[in-house]
Amino acid sequence: MSRPQTQIEKILSHHSTEAPGRPVEPEDIVEVEVDRLVLLDMAATHPEFMGHLPHRIQHPERIAWVFDHLVPPPTIELATGLAKLRELARRWGIREVFDVGRGGISHPLMAERGWVRPGEILANTDSHTCAAGALGCAGRGVGMLEVMSILCTGKTWFRVGGTVRARLEGKLPRGVYGKDLFLALAGTYGGIPGKNLEFQGPGVAHLAIPTRQVVATMGAEIGAEFVLFPPDDRALEYVRARVPAGETLRPVEADPEAHYEQEWPLALDPLVPLVAEPGRVTRNVKPVQELSHVAIQRAVVGSCANGTLEDLEQVSTILAGRKVHPDVVLTVTPNTSAVFAEASRLGHLETIVRAGGLVTNATCGACFGGHLGVLGDGEVCVTSTTRNFQGRMGSSQARIYLASSATVAASAVTGHLTDPRELLSEAP
Amino acid sequence: MRIAGRAWVVGDDINTDLLYPATCFRLPPAERRWQTLSANRPGWAREVRPGDVLVAGSNFGMGSSRPAADNLRDLGIRLVVADSINGLFFRTAINTGLPILEVPGVSRSVREGSRLEADLTEGWVRTDGRELQGRPLPPFLARILEDGGVLARLAKQGYID
Repeated sequence: MSRPQTQIEKILSHHSTEAPGRPVEPEDIVEVEVDRLVLLDMAATHPEFMGHLPHRIQHPERIAWVFDHLVPPPTIELATGLAKLRELARRWGIREVFDVGRGGISHPLMAERGWVRPGEILANTDSHTCAAGALGCAGRGVGMLEVMSILCTGKTWFRVGGTVRARLEGKLPRGVYGKDLFLALAGTYGGIPGKNLEFQGPGVAHLAIPTRQVVATMGAEIGAEFVLFPPDDRALEYVRARVPAGETLRPVEADPEAHYEQEWPLALDPLVPLVAEPGRVTRNVKPVQELSHVAIQRAVVGSCANGTLEDLEQVSTILAGRKVHPDVVLTVTPNTSAVFAEASRLGHLETIVRAGGLVTNATCGACFGGHLGVLGDGEVCVTSTTRNFQGRMGSSQARIYLASSATVAASAVTGHLTDPRELLSEAP
Repeated sequence: MRIAGRAWVVGDDINTDLLYPATCFRLPPAERRWQTLSANRPGWAREVRPGDVLVAGSNFGMGSSRPAADNLRDLGIRLVVADSINGLFFRTAINTGLPILEVPGVSRSVREGSRLEADLTEGWVRTDGRELQGRPLPPFLARILEDGGVLARLAKQGYID
């Protein structure tokens, strides 16, 4: 009888090049086969890549190229770079190119297109690749140099970390969302650099897939290597609807007796809307109501974490019949072109625009201080994007508060940090 | 692998937005290094001398996949030692050829300006007559550093020029 394994240990063990199926444990270095690889437009900004292109690549059919960080290109250099990337994709036989206007942010896009599958290993340069864990897929951001190595060899390595188990009980109450769930964990339990986070418990079944995606994406902010939800019926139904008929899924669950380094219990029913104060996410979280004195000038909804259709619906529900406060600029970025189109069909975008908000194309955009609304000196921003680090969204003299999209929308209406339940209860 | 140098000490939660601000994306590669820690420690990048060592607190390198380790390497930082290190930054450092070691408690044990010596594969650091034990660098990763980083390795294997 072999040692019982956590979900991530099992996935890594199955993919081991040296001894497939042999159990792995913390501190092991495991070399693995990569099932799918995602390249980004940012490749064009890496001189190491553009100046040392692989002579040939492994498995072009397992590779997608997504233009998401700086689209449409704001500089001549980037526009020129994108043309080179298109040519490279043609030369290498990469057919899955999600060009400007035809894709969106890589993490939600890959899930939407059936590229995120339970039990598989998905690599991407970008740190928020842990988003794939919402569907039980071991997604990991590995950086440009490692992506070059995977292009050449088809393989990568992981240093196995200990695993933490979050046990969820109950249901999220009205006005409280996936971002609040994540902030509750980050605020209570802090960072786990190098370790994995697996979600279990009866509360998981009540979480919709987009909610799980928010939580899994944000796992990067507590330093998690991998964040995994179980491949339950809800996850499998989501994936099957997006995978060509006849392709087999290989979901992996944790062994019942697996060893977890820490247990993080979390009751969902008592949760309230939360906000992370500027600087860091871990142990820096308060109820929104305790910060209602904070005046804001900028409000941002979007990113790989919180640009889902559900986010746009939350924003539209709060903004319906109201106006964005005259001292606030609200920017809303759907996370994929498909979400943009559906939010348009449902009228959410019209509601946002009529309220005085700005809707942008699907891009990482302002979240990483790239373009489409970076912050200026002294500005105070509330955002449902991914990071509140100093200088993250532009000026190092700006202050960033991190919250749910509903909290951002409510704050955009009042001009100060606002618990969205106050506006949800008095729908105009 | 043994490395020694003069230590700089920074605190907890030094993330990639501090190490490699978004302004770097718009600068020529040779100028990016001067932005390192410009938000929280202005002027520091100009004081670093080739061969110096950076000692940091917990959660070092938290954040994005941007080539933040390049900035430290290009400033001449020869080694990073931290209480705990973000996994993606750890990988980026190894791949870029920047030696890196996790030694819990190191940031409270090293005085800025002191000489620090470390052995990567044995996992210890010595400074001011004290020795601390950390997580030894596995041989698999030490070999990437010995090759000079992943680009040099891929070139050696004939995958790239």
